[in-house]
Amino acid sequence: MAYRKTVAGLVAAAALLGTSSASFAATDITWWHGMGGKLGEVVNQISSDYNASQDACNLTPVYKGGYEDTLTAGIAAFRAGEQPNIIQVFDAGSATIIGAKGAVVPVEDLLKENDVAFDIEDYIPGVRYFYADSTGKMIGMPFNSSAPILYINEDAMKKAGVEAPKTYEEFEAIAPKLKEAGYIPLVQSHLPWEFVENFKSRHDLQFATNNNGYDGATGTELVFGEPIKAHFTAAKKWLDEGYFGYYGTGWADNQQPFNEGKVALWIGSSGSFGGIADTVNFPFSATFLPYWDSVEGAGKASFIGGAALFAMSGKPAEENKCVASFFEYLTSPEVQYTWHKETGYVPITNAAYELAKKDGHYERTPAAEVGIQQLSLPTGEWTKGYRMGFYVQIRDVMNRELGKVFSGETSVEDAFATIKADGDKLLARFAKTVEN
Amino acid sequence: MKRLQISDHIVLLAGVFFMVTPVVLAFLTSTHDAVTIYRSGLQYSFGGQGLSAYGTVLTHAGGFTKEVDGMVMLKNSLILGFGFAIGKIVISMLAAYAIVYFRFPLASLCFWVIFCTLLLPLEVRILPSYEIVQKLGMVNTYSGLIVPLIASATGTFFFRQFFLSVPDELLEAARIDGAGPWKFFIDILVPISRTMIAAIFIIMFVYGWNQYLWPTLITTDETFFTLVRGIKQILQVWVGAQIPDYDQAMALAILAMLPPVIIVVVFQSWFIKGLVESDK
Amino acid sequence: MRRAVRDTGEPAASVRGEAMKKVQFHTPAIPYLLLLPQLAIVAIFFLWPAAEAVRSSFYLEDPFGFGSTFVGFDNFVDTVTSTDYGRVARFTGVFTFFVTFLSLGAALLLAVKADKVLRGASTYKTLLMWVYAVAPPVAGLIGILLFDQHVGPIVKFVGLFGWHLQIGVDYYDTAFAMIIASVWKQIPVNFIFFLSGLQGISKSVQEAASIDCRSGFRRFWTVTFPLLAPTGFFLLIINITYAFFDTFGIIDVVLKTEPGNNPVTLVYKVYLDGFRGNDLGGSSAQSVVLMIVVFILTIIQFRLIERRVHYT
Repeated sequence: MAYRKTVAGLVAAAALLGTSSASFAATDITWWHGMGGKLGEVVNQISSDYNASQDACNLTPVYKGGYEDTLTAGIAAFRAGEQPNIIQVFDAGSATIIGAKGAVVPVEDLLKENDVAFDIEDYIPGVRYFYADSTGKMIGMPFNSSAPILYINEDAMKKAGVEAPKTYEEFEAIAPKLKEAGYIPLVQSHLPWEFVENFKSRHDLQFATNNNGYDGATGTELVFGEPIKAHFTAAKKWLDEGYFGYYGTGWADNQQPFNEGKVALWIGSSGSFGGIADTVNFPFSATFLPYWDSVEGAGKASFIGGAALFAMSGKPAEENKCVASFFEYLTSPEVQYTWHKETGYVPITNAAYELAKKDGHYERTPAAEVGIQQLSLPTGEWTKGYRMGFYVQIRDVMNRELGKVFSGETSVEDAFATIKADGDKLLARFAKTVEN
Repeated sequence: MKRLQISDHIVLLAGVFFMVTPVVLAFLTSTHDAVTIYRSGLQYSFGGQGLSAYGTVLTHAGGFTKEVDGMVMLKNSLILGFGFAIGKIVISMLAAYAIVYFRFPLASLCFWVIFCTLLLPLEVRILPSYEIVQKLGMVNTYSGLIVPLIASATGTFFFRQFFLSVPDELLEAARIDGAGPWKFFIDILVPISRTMIAAIFIIMFVYGWNQYLWPTLITTDETFFTLVRGIKQILQVWVGAQIPDYDQAMALAILAMLPPVIIVVVFQSWFIKGLVESDK
Repeated sequence: MRRAVRDTGEPAASVRGEAMKKVQFHTPAIPYLLLLPQLAIVAIFFLWPAAEAVRSSFYLEDPFGFGSTFVGFDNFVDTVTSTDYGRVARFTGVFTFFVTFLSLGAALLLAVKADKVLRGASTYKTLLMWVYAVAPPVAGLIGILLFDQHVGPIVKFVGLFGWHLQIGVDYYDTAFAMIIASVWKQIPVNFIFFLSGLQGISKSVQEAASIDCRSGFRRFWTVTFPLLAPTGFFLLIINITYAFFDTFGIIDVVLKTEPGNNPVTLVYKVYLDGFRGNDLGGSSAQSVVLMIVVFILTIIQFRLIERRVHYT
């Protein structure tokens, strides 16, 4: 008798507890990212705004260190069954996370399963396919995308009496005048991204077999033809003649002389203008990454750098629903515009681009538009990006060998031969890790 | 016998200059703002900012939870330093005691197993160690930070050396008095070892406090960052559009240096004794 | 430091397990209890990872754990024959040599002088040894600012002599900066040991020596130096270990997260391939190679050096 009463009481209490907790509990989701400093603050802002905008989901962003650290942490967490819901993975890591079939739920599938509208045409052309598979299905959602663009020291141009070059041929014509005016004509900050990957894209040249790696990892090999070798031969010549400055693999090491006003033209990222505006004391502008007019079909769009957000698999359905709702929030024009304005990364949707235009953002900061415009240029066969495994190490090989070219330790021919040899070996090993 | 020569002093002063100047420059630089440092590097004089970078670093709470600041990192460094030193001392003393003062089967085997740990420094087994710590759920925990570092045999050998030099008469006298192993340990051995414990505590504290690689891998949650790890965080902003907060990095570097340096200088004689005793 | 306690004069015998204390307890359970914490930690955090490193060096694994292929010795072959490994190994050797030689040399010089002077000896001692407590990454941080190719004071100084020092661009310049920073950090330890060793040389020996030999310089090389030999050899091992492993922090900061065409040590490469490149098999293979190297170093230390040492 007493027993039954107690049980009934307990059941009632449990039911009460159950319902009351159900009404408070939002579903918790986590987001691991590699955005530090100011970028991280904007990420935090977006996350708290999202949480404030609705009740069902509670997003916690966690800064895990740089891109490599974040990916490694994500991998280890996945193996231990403790992966986050959303993880930010950079371009060089895309093959690793996409190649591991089953590690992520493709963004397109996730959105469709959770009744969020998705149309790839909403996204600007340059960002659509980098993180997609060979059928064009978007697997990762581009988040912080940028393009390599050319920054111009207006004072330098005026003093030398020249115009900013559109092509490298034009650059060769104006370089001596810039040098005479007392400037280092050209500097860049990331050889693999600016002088190899996007070189291939701007000139619509093949980068790797298997459709730049999108068709599969087995048998993917690097492709280096005459144009890129000619480019580096020219760059080395410019270096020797004082038309080109090379300060190592450090991004900041190469940017510094430009910030100090010693360099006329600097190839940086579309996201760099904020930092430049804060530090330089000369008027500057930006334009597209140059190309060689002599290469047929050149002048196409570049592909994106940066990173994308992936939804990790193995998570319960309500959490996936929250992830979908967050992605919906994130891709709304207002949020995209805020992200774009605060960080300099390009807005990934056409609607956001329109909003920025209407708001007069580009009248105030013309340099901010160059990146998107470059990503919206006509696309070609080889402009969508690449999918290669162990790519961080391949980039390291590129940096190493191309650095040797500039220091005179090796020839352009030998450097590319080594890059291809080492790179192909790495690709073959990667293929073995994913296809068994 | 020992003649006072100017040349000797010159050599010594040159040495002191070489050792001290970099840190003095670091301190002076921390009093300037980040843009100046970015533009013109290390500074040779006091800057306009004074000690404000220290204030910022210690109190400016960043991160999503707005909980992480220099004080938190300081706390974590202290926990790591103390935790590691104390843990190491306790575990090694016990193990050394067992090896030296007890006769038991497998004694040799245990000794060699522990000895093996000297063959493989942490750096060589980081990946698998990381995986195992992950499997045990110890990532981003204090125990994950401290315990795996204790796995090497240095402390055990140190105390073993020392115990071997303790005269047998002490143990004999204790036994005659009827003391068992625990009593002997607590009442006699530990008190005798006081100086040694202090000495090795200092060495281990500095070692733990200055750990870089392991905390970098194991703690990706900001609330667990140590000061040394915090420096890497600030410098992580190399790529892209931003200028690293050099002034804060310098302030953090000075802060990270202070406690170990103070301890080593103030307790110099114990510290040196501990370092050198291990040679015998 | 980790090596500090290993080598010894006295226990050469007891290392081999010969009789230690004559008076011992015979209680059965207690020793195991006392050893349990240490052995447990060693088993979990040392033996298990070491075994795992060896196992994983024979496989090529998908980092996410979706599959692995057994590849036998392929990882080892790939590693050792890669274009970069030889260069990294050579750099590690050269780097170790210079860091050891320079920091021992400088420390010895300073210790000899500090031992000689009467005035201010303890002040010099304090000022020269406190850098021991500085963390390697902090040394690296100050180093990159001192050597910054655009604004570093050292760069400006050597620029006066026509040396265009560019760390991050020129392989040898970067190596130079790493060596200097590493030497700076290591001098205090060597200094302390040498000074202790010098102060331990008995007065009668010193007096006898100065009667026999008027030249201070010769005295040093024929009497003092041999007496410092035990300390010296011991420090040799400590310094080699330091250069091999503990310089990780310095290298990491100097590289500013981009290895590029910069020098790295073997240990750093293990980290790069494993953590940065997510190549578990390759990284493990390199770990195994390093294990073997350390093992050999340890054997050399215990066998060779103890025999050649010279005791008073």
